[in-house]
Amino acid sequence: MPELRGTTRGPVLTRWFGTENLHRIDVYERLGGYAAARKALTTMTHDQIVQEIKDSGLRGRGGADFSTGVKWSLMPKESPVPMYLVVNADESEPGSAKDRYLMENSPHMLLEGICIAAYAIRSHQAWIYIRGEYDLPFARLTEAISEMRAKGYVGDRPFDSDWPLDIRIFRGHGAYICGEEGALLESLEGKRAQPRAWKPPYPAQKGAWGRPTTVNNVETISTVPFIVGEGAAAYAKFGTEKAKGTRMFTVSGNVQRPGNYEMEIGKPYRELIEGMAGGPPPGRKIKAWWPGGSSSPVMPGDLLDVTTDLDGVKDLANLKGHPVPPVNAGGRAFATMGGSGGVIVMDDRFCAVEAAHRLLQFYAHESCGKCTPCRVGGNWAVRTYERILSGEGGAQDIAILEQVYAALQSGRCLCGLGDAAGWVIASSLTHFRSEYEEHALRNECSAKQAAAHA
Amino acid sequence: MGVLSAHVIGEIRALPAQFPEVRSAVMPALDLAQEELGYLTPEAMSEVAEALNLDPGYVEGVATFYTLFHTEPIGKHRLYLCTNISCKLRGADALLEHAMQTVGVRDQGQVSSDGLFSVEAVECLGACEYAPMMRLDHAYHYDLTPEKIDSLIAERKRPLPAAAQAAKAAAGEDQPPPRVAKPRAARKKKADA
Repeated sequence: MPELRGTTRGPVLTRWFGTENLHRIDVYERLGGYAAARKALTTMTHDQIVQEIKDSGLRGRGGADFSTGVKWSLMPKESPVPMYLVVNADESEPGSAKDRYLMENSPHMLLEGICIAAYAIRSHQAWIYIRGEYDLPFARLTEAISEMRAKGYVGDRPFDSDWPLDIRIFRGHGAYICGEEGALLESLEGKRAQPRAWKPPYPAQKGAWGRPTTVNNVETISTVPFIVGEGAAAYAKFGTEKAKGTRMFTVSGNVQRPGNYEMEIGKPYRELIEGMAGGPPPGRKIKAWWPGGSSSPVMPGDLLDVTTDLDGVKDLANLKGHPVPPVNAGGRAFATMGGSGGVIVMDDRFCAVEAAHRLLQFYAHESCGKCTPCRVGGNWAVRTYERILSGEGGAQDIAILEQVYAALQSGRCLCGLGDAAGWVIASSLTHFRSEYEEHALRNECSAKQAAAHA
Repeated sequence: MGVLSAHVIGEIRALPAQFPEVRSAVMPALDLAQEELGYLTPEAMSEVAEALNLDPGYVEGVATFYTLFHTEPIGKHRLYLCTNISCKLRGADALLEHAMQTVGVRDQGQVSSDGLFSVEAVECLGACEYAPMMRLDHAYHYDLTPEKIDSLIAERKRPLPAAAQAAKAAAGEDQPPPRVAKPRAARKKKADA
């Protein structure tokens, strides 16, 4: 097991982290684990649990920030066919590693959450869709499920209840798009992972194999045992008036202590980046940072006081006089977003144009090819960046980027991948326009020059 | 006589029972085939299709969509180096160059002349707090430096101890001929404009 980098003994998710062998069922139970699942399956009704989760204010931690309790309540109360809980463990957003951190250190926390969630939505079968590269988390979960089976926590009568329960793991095979709900379900069904057509039907109506399904992120489900065990109020006392609880952040890039940190929602990013993660290396300044994975619009380094509340972070007032990037989600303008909590920090040795180029390579590579703007636009942008960076660009190339980011956005694609590629270009070009002009018009790079003299 | 062993075909035939629908067994089945052969040949994909009673074109369509399925020969040990932003900011580009030079390949996906290694730049592997990092032989390797990469490579091509080598020579065994692979485009494109 590698050295733990991140929060231990945190308020909710990481409260037992740092305990030796926490991944073992006996250790997890000695600390109080599975008490919440036992309570839920033996003393609570399905609807009581859903209400508890609604009351806690828990929202989806995969990035969509949708009320978990409301999502669960959309499941039918009766169904002639099986219903499923699908856990999205396909964590692939660049800069996000928190689900891996949770699964490899405390697999039983996720599995206990699955027991409760599956029961709450009246499902007897849960699937964990885990990305294929996650070898250690897969091994830990496999081992943990056999420990559960030995104790009867999955099987015919978990916790002596009359609610049979089975948990299976499905391994992905390397495709960012599988983090998207519809594509994930396609992949689980054994198909090429392409997003499904417009909703409705929602997964709660027609999900995996056409049956009612709830898809939840690893962190979301891992939070459930705390809420059911300690009560909704204990969870809701963390956070702000509207955004409750704590959440995991991965801080990576040019910081002194990269790691996975649990923090109360609503505190500023500065506390996370400069406090917990130790800020940039000595003598360096933060030039740019991404609050929620590479898909979140990039922010200039002087705007660290933005709140981690996922509604607040979108507020255009956060930009404090910086130009507003031409990004929109569903037609609405926003400053940036909290996404999956992957905070990436870049210091002043690095070139903003090169960074955007690398990210566009990612979006072009990971486009599933279904929607034309994304399939074509990503590659078009990459080639334009290549011209600009090789010194063969001109003013027309900046104009091309402007056309491409406009064409990628505004809901022209079935999923968010196309929009995200557009946000990368639009935000980078807005906040670091002078660097684009240096490269495109004069074949210069002030970042490289400055780094060379440092 | 097919390219997949009877044992693997048997395992593949048992897979659909785990799922509500047979198609869900395609990826686990391709895993078994790839595990046995190193990569997925057209024959292997056809045999998977036959074992699952699916169309070979369908199986190939799935195999070619996902990065972790290989339809061309690859090294016995694959170095998947993350070069996405978090690792790039901590020196991944230079490490990729270094790894390719050390195993002696010019292009990504090319197999080293001893058949042991191939190197690929990959997207974020979700271990950003340990950047720069890579996946090698079903395990993550963290805080990479050129020296760390050197020793991981050296461990995997260490010659057999002298006694074992002598015994092998006495038995008339030879090293298998190196697998020759076509160099291919630097980045595997799923969706070209």
